[in-house]
Amino acid sequence: MKPLPLFLALGMSLSPLHAAPTPSASSAPAELDRSHPPKAGPLPEVALPKTVSETLPNGLRLVVLPDHRQPTVTYRLLIRSGALYDGDSPGLADLCANLLNKGTTTLSAEEFASKTDFLGISVEASASDDAIAVMAFGLANYQKEILGFLRDAVLSPAFLAAEIDKEKRTTISELIANNADPSDLAARLRNRLLYGKHPYGAFPTPESVKAIRRDQLVAFHRTQFLPNHAMLAIVGDVDPQKALAEAKAAFDDWEKGEIPEAELTAFPTVKGVTIHLVDRPASVQSNILVAMPGVPRNNSDFPELQVVNSVLGGGFSGRLFSNLRERHGYTYGSYSGFGSRKLGGAFSAVAQVRNEVTAAATKEIFNELRRLRDSLIPETELELQRTYLAGNYLISLENNRRIAERIQEIDLYDLPADYWETYARRLTGVTPQKAEELARQYIDPENLVVVVVGKAQEVREQLEGLGPVTVYDTDLNPVSEKPAEKPAKQ
Amino acid sequence: MKLRFLTPALPLLAAATLCAADPAASPLPSPSSAPSPTPILKMPVIEYTEYDLANGLHVILHQDRSVPVVATYVHYHVGSKNERPDRTGFAHFFEHLMFEGSKNIPRGQIDKLVSAAGGNLNASTSFDRTDYYFNLPSNQLGLGLWIESERMLHAQIDETGVETQRSVVKEERKTSVDNAPYGSVFENLASMVFEGTPYEWVPIGSVQYIDQATIEEFRDFYRHYYVPNNATLVVAGDIDLPETKKLIETYFGPIPRGKEIERPKFTLEPQKEAKKRSVELPTTPLPATLHAWRGPKETSPDAPALELLADILATGRSSRLYERIVRQEQSGNDVSVFPYLLENGGVIGIFVIGNPDSKLEKLDATLEEEIARVREKGVSAEELQKAKNQKISRLATAYSTMKQRAVFLADFHVMYGDTGLINRQLERIEGVTPEQIQEVARKYLDPKKNNILHYPVARDASPS
Repeated sequence: MKPLPLFLALGMSLSPLHAAPTPSASSAPAELDRSHPPKAGPLPEVALPKTVSETLPNGLRLVVLPDHRQPTVTYRLLIRSGALYDGDSPGLADLCANLLNKGTTTLSAEEFASKTDFLGISVEASASDDAIAVMAFGLANYQKEILGFLRDAVLSPAFLAAEIDKEKRTTISELIANNADPSDLAARLRNRLLYGKHPYGAFPTPESVKAIRRDQLVAFHRTQFLPNHAMLAIVGDVDPQKALAEAKAAFDDWEKGEIPEAELTAFPTVKGVTIHLVDRPASVQSNILVAMPGVPRNNSDFPELQVVNSVLGGGFSGRLFSNLRERHGYTYGSYSGFGSRKLGGAFSAVAQVRNEVTAAATKEIFNELRRLRDSLIPETELELQRTYLAGNYLISLENNRRIAERIQEIDLYDLPADYWETYARRLTGVTPQKAEELARQYIDPENLVVVVVGKAQEVREQLEGLGPVTVYDTDLNPVSEKPAEKPAKQ
Repeated sequence: MKLRFLTPALPLLAAATLCAADPAASPLPSPSSAPSPTPILKMPVIEYTEYDLANGLHVILHQDRSVPVVATYVHYHVGSKNERPDRTGFAHFFEHLMFEGSKNIPRGQIDKLVSAAGGNLNASTSFDRTDYYFNLPSNQLGLGLWIESERMLHAQIDETGVETQRSVVKEERKTSVDNAPYGSVFENLASMVFEGTPYEWVPIGSVQYIDQATIEEFRDFYRHYYVPNNATLVVAGDIDLPETKKLIETYFGPIPRGKEIERPKFTLEPQKEAKKRSVELPTTPLPATLHAWRGPKETSPDAPALELLADILATGRSSRLYERIVRQEQSGNDVSVFPYLLENGGVIGIFVIGNPDSKLEKLDATLEEEIARVREKGVSAEELQKAKNQKISRLATAYSTMKQRAVFLADFHVMYGDTGLINRQLERIEGVTPEQIQEVARKYLDPKKNNILHYPVARDASPS
């Protein structure tokens, strides 16, 4: 009998690798039997590190996670704002974030840069859809200075006209560069298709960025940067009480205000299977992105859904990887995931494949989606994925910054307070029946969008067999149907 | 917000087998991250023990029980520079084959075994070495050692696996090189700067040679290079030392020693003349220019000064080139400077991505002016201190995961023969003086021996 099962030709079933674990640490047998993997005990238990937290009278939530393994400290200030509040000016939140370290009421952009650089400190801000994050990092012996620069950037940005112009120029160059990047194009088109006119579906263009005015930036900062709309995590080689007291002193006088409401539109409904082809004539590969509406981050099934997803495309042992890479050799890698935000989400499966097999690879992704929904996942395969996720969660605890981010996610997305304490347990509790129920509820292979970024001349015809095809240019505008573009034959 | 292409110049040097799925897995390509002097700072000491097995396998053990995880890391001292010019890409391709299986591990099961243990894995190939790692919950140390010893003792290489991986590697190359904006920069750079040496091709290589290679060649390569006397094993994390030693002896002890390995012997002679190349591709969105020179090898005493010079030129918004090009003149969108120093020699390059209306000739002139300035006038003590402080900050987080520690421990052992350097990185840059910075600028950044590579925006960028 084989100690290890061979994957069946279809990569469908996997025998237990973990059957009957002996509850001892791994140890070498007296006489080595190479034919078996050594037995291992159960996953180690690990407690989350202790944190200290406090909410200031102005509403700012502070959390400190002491970590003495490195002589550094990171401050992560999160504003519960972001592109969600861009309104009619896509790019506004991002531009505002990028200007925080480009000059304040006390320091010019040059002074800010040279002073922070000189101490090896970095203060960087960025905006995503749901949050603006300002990260200040440096050696722990400059803790006071780091906090000072953070305070200055967050509370007193100057928004000087000259700096706004520079930042716009930089941003516009980046947007041009993004239009050459196939993955970026695919993700933006997906967002537009799934989220429509909701802010999650919008993206900045050179025109929208050019049009942003100083008064909009100032107003955005005034209305969004509120302590009762923010949280601060401090991770590193600090004394927690002292760190709290210093943060308190730094942000005590930050005045609270009324939390603004974003103008939101409902997401469109996705009906049937439609193909959206971005013509990138230089492409020697097609970037395929199969997507459907997903779930908001605080969906109560979110941890369990990670297991279902992992079976499909969570890593090197997922079905997409086994099928598209190891069986067909179509791609370097194929993965899937639930990308979730505060108010909604997308489920996506991706692969980059050679032009000739674009439709064939897309069909294989469809097949895997159907199989996930229609057939019970064998317990052994599910067991592999549960342990994969639980073990990798454990490994991620090496990184305390990541832990602090997770703690902030609880506030940002309104997750249950014990979310991370119970997370690994919830992963390991998923049965085949539960997985089936979730797959049926959340995976719908009959209603989805397929975004392909590739060379239309070589892939369009193949794709037409899968559904109606709309062709876009790299500015993501639909191009009119003109077969006349083809040379007048010979 | 930074342009995503800028940093990729370096990741492209190493071709990973499986994909960058481990977000924590981006160590520096060489231990170029160094520190400097600050009296108050105490860097945590990384304790380790090291020894050789009778078959020549070098073992380094590092215990840290703060989180119950362990990293196993195997470093084979073979990379693309060991390839024949008509077999480029061979070492990297072989790295893919090492995931196929072994006498006791059926084909395709290595990924599954590690996933089922709650771990993750990957591998990479660079010019000088090929490495393999597992991150595992610490109850699974035995599994990691078993798989790595299986691979070293009797990996199985068959036609099915070779055929599949041929397709996979072709797609890998397209994803990272041919379909990506600026994806071929480093390939072009290596062919200019390292011309005439085994560094002139990059690890991903040319696909046609992999098609030509026979299965017997792969087996020979395995027998020749994948032997314990050409390998270093690092185990770092939540381990019991005596127990781990025993396990290692059990699994790796019986693997027979291989023949002594003859290393490619070459040095980078000073380049005879300046070179210039322009690469026009439809995937290029913004004009870019790269200036590069031959540099010293990784272990050269010039390396610390050269690394600090790079920081003075382009690390941070107040650095010389960034301040002038991006901030003041706005003639470019981003600037990066990278010393990439290898076993037999290195390269130092400056990469500038322009704005849509940037003129590459103007950017070239600015770079030449700034290079001349640093060669003629040197740098101030304050600038140097700033660069040292920036390095200390980076160094303070360079060894934060067990896997990162394993990578550096192995590299210091193999390249320097001095594992303890992991704890002496501050001293390495502490003593560097402004005079030394100027000296390395004069020695290496010679305008008569530079290489200029242009990536203009294609003239006819309209869809065909």
